[in-house]
Amino acid sequence: MYNILYIEDEKEIGQWVTKDLTERGYEVTWLESGEEVDQHIAFKDIAILDVMLPGLDGFSIGKRIKRENKEIPILMLSARTAVEDKIEGLNFADDYLTKPFHPDELIARVEVLLRRYQKNDDVLDLQHLKIYTKEMRIINKQTDEEIQLTGKQFYLLQYFIRHLNQILTKEQLYEGVWGESYIEGDKTLMVHIRYLREKIEINPAKPTIIETIRGIGYRVKQ
Amino acid sequence: MKFFRSLLAKYMVIIFLAISIVQLSYFAIAVFMFGIGKTGFSSEVLRESEVEEKWLTEAKSIKNFTEDTIAQHFKDWKGQYPKSSMFWVSEDGTLRTKVDVKEHLPSEWTPAFTTKFIKEHYGEDPFTVIAFLGQDESNGFIVFEIPREVFNPPLRNVYEQYGYLVIAGTIAIIIFFIAISFLFFRGIRKRLLHLQEAMEIRDVDGLPIETKVKKKDEIGQLEQSFNRMVCELRESKNREQKEEQLRRELIANLSHDLRTPLTKIRAQSYSISKEVLSEDGKQAIKAMETSIVNIDTLIENLMSYTLLMASKYKFEAKEINIIRFVREQMTTWYPVFEKEGFEIDIELDPFEKNEWQVDPIWLGRIVDNLFQNILRHASSGKYVGVETESTERYDAFIIKDHGNGMKNESNAKGAGIGLSIVDIMVKGMNLDWDIESSESGTKIKIKHYK
Repeated sequence: MYNILYIEDEKEIGQWVTKDLTERGYEVTWLESGEEVDQHIAFKDIAILDVMLPGLDGFSIGKRIKRENKEIPILMLSARTAVEDKIEGLNFADDYLTKPFHPDELIARVEVLLRRYQKNDDVLDLQHLKIYTKEMRIINKQTDEEIQLTGKQFYLLQYFIRHLNQILTKEQLYEGVWGESYIEGDKTLMVHIRYLREKIEINPAKPTIIETIRGIGYRVKQ
Repeated sequence: MKFFRSLLAKYMVIIFLAISIVQLSYFAIAVFMFGIGKTGFSSEVLRESEVEEKWLTEAKSIKNFTEDTIAQHFKDWKGQYPKSSMFWVSEDGTLRTKVDVKEHLPSEWTPAFTTKFIKEHYGEDPFTVIAFLGQDESNGFIVFEIPREVFNPPLRNVYEQYGYLVIAGTIAIIIFFIAISFLFFRGIRKRLLHLQEAMEIRDVDGLPIETKVKKKDEIGQLEQSFNRMVCELRESKNREQKEEQLRRELIANLSHDLRTPLTKIRAQSYSISKEVLSEDGKQAIKAMETSIVNIDTLIENLMSYTLLMASKYKFEAKEINIIRFVREQMTTWYPVFEKEGFEIDIELDPFEKNEWQVDPIWLGRIVDNLFQNILRHASSGKYVGVETESTERYDAFIIKDHGNGMKNESNAKGAGIGLSIVDIMVKGMNLDWDIESSESGTKIKIKHYK
């Protein structure tokens, strides 16, 4: 059960989002302004903030939360779509979603943030794999054996899990895992993906967990 | 008072000085001449014939032919003609009295020497007059010699003696005048160049910097005007920035205020969709959803278009790797097309030079608009392709679909504003684009000329 702090001054939207999130199994604390944010921020897993609020605006509230609680991810949810606003928001916030949004998209983004901040101590079921995301323990459900990964394979899979359902380009993967800039034509990443597939896929020749997206990169989809 | 600080006044002073120096020098020479006339140089012109006549008369008039009397006469003449020399040769040919004679003369004069002397001195320098003493020729002769220069007009003597001084003086005056003019114009030039340099220096905000006004002449006034201009420029830029800020703020607020009710509509439609609905109800909800998405895009496009048309859309070009950029854009669009069941064909080959000088936000917007159009107006083809093309003239990336083409889409009006934005942005980044559209699909090429 995740605790969400939600600040929204529009009653209709606030009620709707609170209801939807609650139905999906989240505990939601909905505030209509940022005045009491300090009393409610404790033990929250994520904060969803509107920008245009009476009194303190969403950006100020977000910055304050970030300053005092670095481990709480913040998602800005605003009808302000100008690039300048997004840039200002993303200076401190982890994500910026514009209205009108689809609730499914909101949930997907919340889940990504929770996973990135490793609030998610759930067990991730990925086809025939059971992954304990906190300690990155991988169990093959078919054989009940733990799969041991080498350093780079481990970081590679961890990177995929943190960006679950997202397509990652070769550059993003290489720079995220190796921490160096990718040089066009470098085969290192491909080699490591092949090794990883040999360990986790049932049939490495026809991979289903680490999908190849032709022309773009790779994806691990739940 | 102001006039005397001006460059014009300074220049007038220099010209005036130059003219007065010329005048003064004439005056000085005249004074000089006059002074010389009084001291030493006779202003009277000596005539050779007069001297000769006088000498002959004098010689004739002498009665007493002793050495003393002759010497007395010679002394008188010497007093009158300081440069002269004289001697007396007696009847028997003996050289008797002589005054200031520089040449070597024999003490005994033979007829032959006498003839030679006469021949040598005739018409030569010094001017020589030979006269018999007394009434007859029995007392010998006296000779008077004087350098011919004493017969020159006095000015000529002055020139001969002081000419170099006059020339040197003239040259000195000319050089002095040239030097003064040079210094004067160099001073002006230096300050003009300084001002020019100051005009070219730019502050961090791209505006010129004010310069220091040192003098109150014409250049000083120019500097002041320049400073005033800089000040006005800065004010106008500030004003423009404020207006721009205001305009952006207004549009952002407008967009916000339009989107909030749209979100409420979506909230309601979503709530309705959770109810048990008839097939028609579900259709209606779906149509509503599509409309919400369309209105959202339209608001966004309208706002961008307004800002673009007023040149208020922020533009910051930087060098980006275009292949990488397009690939990263595709990571967000791929799932969308995938969900709609599109066939997605991506073939991005690196160019020779992958770095393009563009604004990534603008380029992102272009790509988004093009994909949105495909999604909304060309989804019948169920195909989207992204590929690169490299020719001798340009590198390009191509976005294509298998829709019905642009002409056949009667309900594609909304595509207009999206494409207008694409057009403005493409041209704004010095790129080019073309559209090939037929019934079997549309192909859009974003070109970067080499």
